[in-house]
Amino acid sequence: MSDTAPLIKIEGLHKSYGGVVQVLQGLDIEMTAGDRVVIIGPSGGGKSTLLRVLMGLEQIDRGSITFGGNPYISAKSGKTAIDAKVRRSIGMVFQHYTLFPHLDVIGNLILAPTKVRGEKKADARERAMALLTRFGLAQKANAYPAQLSGGQKQRVAIARALMLDPKLMLFDEVTSALDPELVAEVEQVILQLAHQQMPMVIVTHDMWFARNIASRVIFCAGGVVVEDGPPEQVLGSPKEERTREFIERVFHIKH
Amino acid sequence: MSYTFDFASVFRNMAPLWDGLLVTIQLTIAANVIGLTLGFVLALLVMSRWRAIRLPVTLFIEFFRCTPAIIQIVWFFYCVPMLFNVFLGSVTMGIMALGLNLAAFNAEAYRASIQAVPREQLDAGVALGLTPFQRVLYIILPTAVRNSVPVLLTNGIGTFQQSALVAIVAVQDLMYQGKTLATLTYRPIETFTIVALVYFAVSFPVSQIVGYLERRREVLAS
Repeated sequence: MSDTAPLIKIEGLHKSYGGVVQVLQGLDIEMTAGDRVVIIGPSGGGKSTLLRVLMGLEQIDRGSITFGGNPYISAKSGKTAIDAKVRRSIGMVFQHYTLFPHLDVIGNLILAPTKVRGEKKADARERAMALLTRFGLAQKANAYPAQLSGGQKQRVAIARALMLDPKLMLFDEVTSALDPELVAEVEQVILQLAHQQMPMVIVTHDMWFARNIASRVIFCAGGVVVEDGPPEQVLGSPKEERTREFIERVFHIKH
Repeated sequence: MSYTFDFASVFRNMAPLWDGLLVTIQLTIAANVIGLTLGFVLALLVMSRWRAIRLPVTLFIEFFRCTPAIIQIVWFFYCVPMLFNVFLGSVTMGIMALGLNLAAFNAEAYRASIQAVPREQLDAGVALGLTPFQRVLYIILPTAVRNSVPVLLTNGIGTFQQSALVAIVAVQDLMYQGKTLATLTYRPIETFTIVALVYFAVSFPVSQIVGYLERRREVLAS
């Protein structure tokens, strides 16, 4: 796939909770495999909902999403149709780690490859150990999630998602629940992935991180895309008044 | 106090108590086997999306939870044979009554821990491509069963104590043998003290294990 053909194409995405709270109100986004998109915006603006929709975790009211040119999600006669095969090529890391507490680190990593893909346990373990070593977690392979720090848990969660060789990674505020001193180790891992050209969509409140990882920043508010551009522009000299206000509030600075 | 304790006459006739304890333990184990398995099935049924399944199961559970166990036992012994023309021997009937009662309480324990599995865990399962059935099998069940162990043990040991109630329908359990021994020796206070101590000796270690498991779970959950 070329870097310019859209990997993800979102068209007219509408989503409400119980038909009352409108979260996404006609969202259009196109991203290419070369993009590392960071989504910023006020809470309630639809950022996390958008990621959850992309992961196939939420129903939608209207609109469609294609992935690599193939139909992925669409709303048909009030029901959301999700192509489960396409969904398996997307990985997601959540704010609250979501490691399975009854499995050790290796167990968490090999669960999906062995059960979903039918990979041999020994092969999956080997790949898992390679990933853990790369993330500096080899000595924690047999630890249980409760024995890990927040930063370690989140790195394991990233490794777990990578075990399925995703073609797109979604990161939903993955450092928001971490103690400040643990944020860097997680962001390092994501930066490492970015250097390997992993397409990703990141929702974050960390503007330093956004600036360093994004090839594109999208400012979402009120369920629509307000501004979309390179990080220097959106974070540095936003065109839209609403973006400017938000950036000033987050950075505590005046332009 | 003018009463003089005489444990010796009870000690001389302890043998029936051990026979009774054996019956009590049999009742407890058998009732727990029913309670642990049937309780799990009931928990799944009570969470069914179909009302026609949910409703009768809820009624069953609430009947056993909301009536005194002693009445359930009496009812089983006298009404079931009359209504359905079956009587399977007093120990079996006792096991049935205790087992169904325990199943109702265990169903609630299972249900609570299944519903306590965080939503996000399931989201992660979806994100990893697990099918709905795989999510139940590999995510919900291991966590839920683990979390329900302390309550299941507490319920199980509760059944051990409650099994004393079957003595009133002539099952020769520990309590029954105690009553007989009390009449025989004319020493009810001493006899029932010893009977109580026997119940305690079995229950106490189990309740200690429950306490240990709960402390460990708190540590692991943090």
